[in-house]
Amino acid sequence: MQVRIRTLVRGLWEDNPVFRLLIGLCPALAVTTAATYGMAMGLATSFVLICSSTIVSLLKNVIPRKVRIPSYIIIIATFVTIVDLVMDAFLPDLHSVLGLFIPLIVVNCLVLGRSEAFASKNTTMASIVDAIGMGIGFTWALTLLGAVREVFGMGTVFGLSVVWDGFVPWTIMSLPPGAFISLGVLVGLLNVIGRRLSERS
Amino acid sequence: MRESIRMVVVLAVIAMVSGAVLTQVYNYTYEIIQANLVRELEESVAEVLPNTVSMEILAGSAELLADNGPDDEDSILVLEGYDEDGSLLGFAYVTQSPGYGGPVKVLVGVSLEPYEILGVKVLDHAETPGLGTRIEEVSFREQFVGKTLDDPIELSNDIDSLTGATVSAAGVVNAVRDGLPRAIRTYEGRR
Repeated sequence: MQVRIRTLVRGLWEDNPVFRLLIGLCPALAVTTAATYGMAMGLATSFVLICSSTIVSLLKNVIPRKVRIPSYIIIIATFVTIVDLVMDAFLPDLHSVLGLFIPLIVVNCLVLGRSEAFASKNTTMASIVDAIGMGIGFTWALTLLGAVREVFGMGTVFGLSVVWDGFVPWTIMSLPPGAFISLGVLVGLLNVIGRRLSERS
Repeated sequence: MRESIRMVVVLAVIAMVSGAVLTQVYNYTYEIIQANLVRELEESVAEVLPNTVSMEILAGSAELLADNGPDDEDSILVLEGYDEDGSLLGFAYVTQSPGYGGPVKVLVGVSLEPYEILGVKVLDHAETPGLGTRIEEVSFREQFVGKTLDDPIELSNDIDSLTGATVSAAGVVNAVRDGLPRAIRTYEGRR
């Protein structure tokens, strides 16, 4: 049980995909113009990650080593297409914003990375726990990144205004450079906080 | 040899299962997605063709509105709008033209003869936030109101451009201008 909890928590902080491992950055930078979009992208990726890790760990003894990568990609692409279609049908407004980036989850190295590095070598239960941890880690990282960019770029968080009257939005924060600036500053800040915490303990 | 056969079989089976699952999901979601597009269109038509409560598609399909729909400039969707008494108010068309970040899709409402533009709405675009997205603003869109076939409908002629977003503005202007005669032709052909 303790091992399970460790596996789960690792994705949240220690091995956070965005802030620590610095993987899956393409969608992390592209869609985080607002907190809602970051969160939606994080949840969509988590769904794909959890489903494909489950299937990969179940099939780990069936899939021959030499064709493992194409097999993983087909499995991942299947779930991504499902997310794409279901989101289009039931959340059309969100889909019109994220639609372009959903198919790109297929090549998100976080998803393929966890299949290759974890799910193909561990039990199904452990793989699901790992995927949930990584998924939550990815989601909070994207939500935070989106919230920071939304505050400075539009003066809102989750669409609610949080700034004083007469605030002039920094348009650059909504544009691609703002993504790099925010990510850099956040990674730096979290490194400082992480070091302080480990020094204290 | 045995290993190669195993590789082929496993990969083929995975691909077949994937195909089968996706076929089911696609069939299940297809009609919902189409209905969403039509409902979205109905809401938008009421904005460019005031008092519209129902509509009838004359030419083209709602697939033009989908993100992965046709991206050529020849595609056009023409529809008629009716008020609550069922009398014809005019027609509207959807067409697109390249902007800065991809095609700009516009919906234009046109009155009955003498075919005056009543309203323009930008349905979909991938323009730069803060700059190109200003094509959605009312002050830019209302410049088209009252234009007819006799007007040039040209940037920096009878339509003021947007600072820092010339290409995005041109996308809207080109789509509106090029679509108008084609929509009128379609509409008259169906009368």
